[in-house]
Amino acid sequence: MNIFVCVKQVPDDYVEVHLNPTTGTPDVEGIDQVNNAFDTYAVEMAVRAVEAHGGSVTVAAIGPEKCQNGLKNLIAVGANKAVLLSDPALLDLDEAATASALASLIAKCEADQGESFDLIFCGKESTDEISAQVGAMLSETLKAPFVSSVVEVEPVEGGVKAKQETESGYAVYEMALPAVLTVAKPAYDPRYPTIKSKMAARKATIPMLTAADAGAVKQDNRVTCLGYSEPAKRQAGVRIQEKEAADAVAKAVAMMAEAKAI
Amino acid sequence: MALHADIIAQLEQAVPGRVYVGEAIKADYAHDEMPIYGEAMPDAVVEVTNTQETAAVCKICYDNDLPIIPRGAGTGLCSGCVAFGGGVIVDTTKMNQILGYDLENFTVRVQSGVLLNDLANDCMEKGVMYPPDPGEKFATVGGNVSTNAGGMRAVKYGTTRDYVKAMTVVLPNGEIVRFGAEASKTSSGYSLMHLMIGSEGTLGIITELSLKVIPQPKQNVSLLGLFPDLNSAISCVPQVKMAGLDPQALEFMPRGNVEMIHEFLGKTVYPYKADGEEVEAYLLSTFDCQKEEELDEIMEKAAETFLENGALDVIVYDTPDAIRNAWMVRSSTLEAILAKYEQSDECDVVVPIPQIPEFINYVTGLEDEVGLAVLASGHAGDGNCHVNVCAHLDLPQEEFVQRAQRFMDLAYDKAAELGGMVSGEHGIGSAKLSYLEKSMGQVTMDLMRGVKRAFDPKGLLNPGKVCGK
Repeated sequence: MNIFVCVKQVPDDYVEVHLNPTTGTPDVEGIDQVNNAFDTYAVEMAVRAVEAHGGSVTVAAIGPEKCQNGLKNLIAVGANKAVLLSDPALLDLDEAATASALASLIAKCEADQGESFDLIFCGKESTDEISAQVGAMLSETLKAPFVSSVVEVEPVEGGVKAKQETESGYAVYEMALPAVLTVAKPAYDPRYPTIKSKMAARKATIPMLTAADAGAVKQDNRVTCLGYSEPAKRQAGVRIQEKEAADAVAKAVAMMAEAKAI
Repeated sequence: MALHADIIAQLEQAVPGRVYVGEAIKADYAHDEMPIYGEAMPDAVVEVTNTQETAAVCKICYDNDLPIIPRGAGTGLCSGCVAFGGGVIVDTTKMNQILGYDLENFTVRVQSGVLLNDLANDCMEKGVMYPPDPGEKFATVGGNVSTNAGGMRAVKYGTTRDYVKAMTVVLPNGEIVRFGAEASKTSSGYSLMHLMIGSEGTLGIITELSLKVIPQPKQNVSLLGLFPDLNSAISCVPQVKMAGLDPQALEFMPRGNVEMIHEFLGKTVYPYKADGEEVEAYLLSTFDCQKEEELDEIMEKAAETFLENGALDVIVYDTPDAIRNAWMVRSSTLEAILAKYEQSDECDVVVPIPQIPEFINYVTGLEDEVGLAVLASGHAGDGNCHVNVCAHLDLPQEEFVQRAQRFMDLAYDKAAELGGMVSGEHGIGSAKLSYLEKSMGQVTMDLMRGVKRAFDPKGLLNPGKVCGK
């Protein structure tokens, strides 16, 4: 099973981001760039599938040269190959333009390796913009079946079976290959590298392709971000200080009733 | 004993609106985080916001022969802030301003009620680091100084003591004094400042501190050594130092602890097997430096040292999220214990590093003899062992206390036999006083009591703690 995993580098989501008062855009300068958490789940799912059924995992990103480090980190945890599409012309892409560039990159990798990918994985969303659209748009571009928020995948006769996490539980789909899946948080966590795999990954060479190398033609953005605003500050809570638990519960219930919450 | 209305009025005049008596005193003031050592309500609680208010409160108490009990966030583990003889608790948590930085002199000035977490984050925003890193991040810095708290980074950076340059102190009689200086060195008589550090609020109340900060290390990596047994994990520690490596932190955890913490966290972070072999002990380390190339070299050398000294494998945590996850396991030890067991007691003895395995094997071997679960982990880099004895509620509390007492007697005797000390970082409070007395001997205890009398002739400040009778 050959799996292609699309990865985005995002600001470390542990750090609280505020708007830069001058530019009005998120102030992420000085915040470490890390692999998007959902993309790391996708890589772990892909590596597990390949360990169980054979094949290889290729990870890919669009971004500046420094994204190579993030890709090396994924080689250290089981990805077999990595490729970086790096071109000043491909900065600030909207979701559709990103999907188009990724589709070109996939075609280029397939041509170079002489075989097609069976599965294309993306994280279900990135933790910075959280639009959750690139995977769906990529499947549309590739004319491939698509399932979002997948937490389990396994091969079946003629394709794969994917378990999707939904708001009310799970849905299970079977589809022919190639297919595009976006990955939610599975039951397991991504592995960490051992010193051996880490040192080997540090020596890995990550091919850097320009838009022209990948045959990617930059699409004009169809979506323009008009501005950002910070979420409203939460109001201070009310502290219930009754000494007895029963009194505290009674007070909480009375307050909720007064606020017409119950 | 209820306070006389006249004294309450005087206190109210000194700290208007922040004097609490009777029913208005919250139940939490009766204990710290180890209520097992006893609970007692104070006669009053006052929340001070500055040195002058603290001085005024102390003078009122001193003139009226009332015990004064300084208290930070109440996160102590030895009953150091509990008013066993009644009196007035002076709560410093509203005295929580970061007063300013002198970055050219690598100094930050704070009020003593600032929380460690707030100070650490504020320093980070200024591009500097306040190195002491005790596990309890919501303790006050004043509390840290009062117990000379250590923490994970002590192996490279030392303990809280090493970062105090100067302090403002209110003596029991209300006099305000300044100890230490923001200068880099001093040879100017007895260091009363260093006497204050670790005195657990028995000599004076610290209200302001000038603390040393250092440039923020730009690079760091955590390595987890997976070992087949505790002995090989610990025997690796001197080798790490011999190799010229300077770990920021070096912690050991037996497998049983890690399994319990994984269960508490609901996820498995550390592997249980390496190359098909069972992992029985873990050595978690962090290395820091300024340059990326330097970090690669450190990482390779450290991993090589682990492997040459019996590690089955070494896991690398080198992204912010990975480092947080790796350390979350270690930092969750106490929470995991308290989530699993309703009754717990702890000691934090410090022994010479090579003696760690003997001490840990001894105390964990006492499980059957004392009839309690024994969980041990700690700072491999400085020999500070944290040992918890635990039981569920099916064991009556009285019986638990007796068994814990029996365990502690044996554990402290063993630590003394191995050349150790009673407490590495938690302090003595009232809970560990008898063990300190046994370990120090009469002459040293008398000297301590003499010092106490010089600061506090009436014996009103935090009575019964550290060396009190």
